[in-house]
Amino acid sequence: MSELVRIDETTWELPAREGMRVPARVFADDEILAEIEGDLSLDQLCNVATLPGVVEAAIAMPDIHQGYGFPVGGVAATELPDGVVSPGGVGYDINCGVRLLALPLSEPELGDRREALVHEISRAVPAGAGKHGRRALAPTALDAVLHDGPRALPGVREDDVERTESRGRLEGADPAAVSERARLRGHDQLGTMGSGNHFVELQVVEQLLDEASARTFGLAAGQVTVLVHSGSRGLGHQVCTDYVKLMDAQLARYRIHLPDRQLACAPASSVEGRRYLAAMAAAANFAWANRQAIADGVRRAVAAVLGADVARGTEQVYDVAHNVAKVETHGGRRVCVHRKGATRAFPAGSDEIPAAYRDVGQPVFIPGSMGTASFVLAGEPGALERSFGTTCHGAGRRLSRTAARKRVQGSELRRELEARGIVVRCPSPKGLAEEAPLAYKDVDRVVRVVEQAGLARRVARLTPLGVVKG
Amino acid sequence: MYRFVEHTAELEVELEAGSAEGVLLEALHAFADLVDGGDGEKLERQVVLSAGDLPALLAAWLDELLFLAETEQLVPDGAELRVAGTTVEGVVRGRRGEPRPLVKAVTLHRLRFGPRDGVWTGRVVLDV
Repeated sequence: MSELVRIDETTWELPAREGMRVPARVFADDEILAEIEGDLSLDQLCNVATLPGVVEAAIAMPDIHQGYGFPVGGVAATELPDGVVSPGGVGYDINCGVRLLALPLSEPELGDRREALVHEISRAVPAGAGKHGRRALAPTALDAVLHDGPRALPGVREDDVERTESRGRLEGADPAAVSERARLRGHDQLGTMGSGNHFVELQVVEQLLDEASARTFGLAAGQVTVLVHSGSRGLGHQVCTDYVKLMDAQLARYRIHLPDRQLACAPASSVEGRRYLAAMAAAANFAWANRQAIADGVRRAVAAVLGADVARGTEQVYDVAHNVAKVETHGGRRVCVHRKGATRAFPAGSDEIPAAYRDVGQPVFIPGSMGTASFVLAGEPGALERSFGTTCHGAGRRLSRTAARKRVQGSELRRELEARGIVVRCPSPKGLAEEAPLAYKDVDRVVRVVEQAGLARRVARLTPLGVVKG
Repeated sequence: MYRFVEHTAELEVELEAGSAEGVLLEALHAFADLVDGGDGEKLERQVVLSAGDLPALLAAWLDELLFLAETEQLVPDGAELRVAGTTVEGVVRGRRGEPRPLVKAVTLHRLRFGPRDGVWTGRVVLDV
């Protein structure tokens, strides 16, 4: 896109044109921008800029890549009350997100129990294929989860809830706005990971980049951690399906013209908009409960392999959503911030951050790819000034699944990872190849861009010891 | 005929057959290819689906297969279908198994389904 104008070292803008209500803004360096221009993600970002009520800019993080409707790695804020809400701007996997657990031991202390721990985690956290490992929730229990999130689960630790974005509960959740079909898909999926790019990874803190903040987050060099990546499973997928369909059928009524049917939307103040936000909040609460149940599974595995004291000492650092819409105030305006493959990154001082972290900023977790690094970041003031309090969510794909499979075989990748001491548990060689590191951008480069742009700063770099995939 | 085409993050499928029913069957085979693993008891389920237009009918059909895979572990291997306007009616056949939970949803992005130059074609992007 030759019309891109460089604003500064890491910011580019495409001025509004042909139906765009605001410019498109991209955070990238030259190399990442070249990769971004290799697919349709910028066209999709321009389409987002046409949404009624969108303000400031349609924003792309450096991990942006082509999605459906919205690009993955996109942010759009619409002014309330009449700006639109778009279910596709959240995505099907409502509140897909990441949770980091810190174990009270170092890599040398873990020693040769690494493989046993990864194996036990794979037993405790099923992918969700078939009926294996599923526990069905009674309708009333499901309603409680939809309304209250992790708090509805028996025996949940208060410190886990405290260290979860929005304390694991979005206001306004209405279980009645969730269809029977969504309930049938999700009622027995709590505690399951799903497939695709979802995983549970055993890691070690390889490098501290901001020691004081790392200490505040309870992280030390050499410490063992577990990163959980999952979402709202079939329940959330169906909620999005239901409301995309509903809003697609009502576009003419609201005189909304869209360049892509998947951007289906309705005014946030409309009956459809309000009902979607209530259902989305319920699905988001379900996702937080799902990651809580997965974390419980991880602690059970830790107890089995390392003992009950280590399991009790396994603390949650934080849990962040990267597919969600939230009502927030930015620049004095009430807006609905759609984050699709993008993470909230509020700076120090925000009362949305747990009290223990308020002096350093909100923790953000950026998974790399299997076999590469992940990062712990902290929100910076620039995020509020430039991206509605948002940063990136991952490395970002650069190759399709088919292209990845053509370049590497699952068995070959497994051998390569195991040769590097990374324990792999994945039932599908095809699935393993599709998530190969070469399919993703360079995560170190992505996080350097968000740091340079002032959106978030690097706190710690984590590298994998083992990975469990669905 | 079905084939997967390049898409950075998701799965895009192109479909072609001599009839509307044929395209829906091709979509079923593409879906079965993605979820794998049906080797249990034989299953049959009646389906009646309607949509506002033909492309939405293709999306609704795949959404139904996804629902059956998730809730009944049905891995489809065939169907007898009749399309009339924007409604499809018939029977889905398959086996119970452990379908891989890869496909999350059926999107409306780049969605297409209809007759063109004597053949029926479809295109759909699946969220994975």
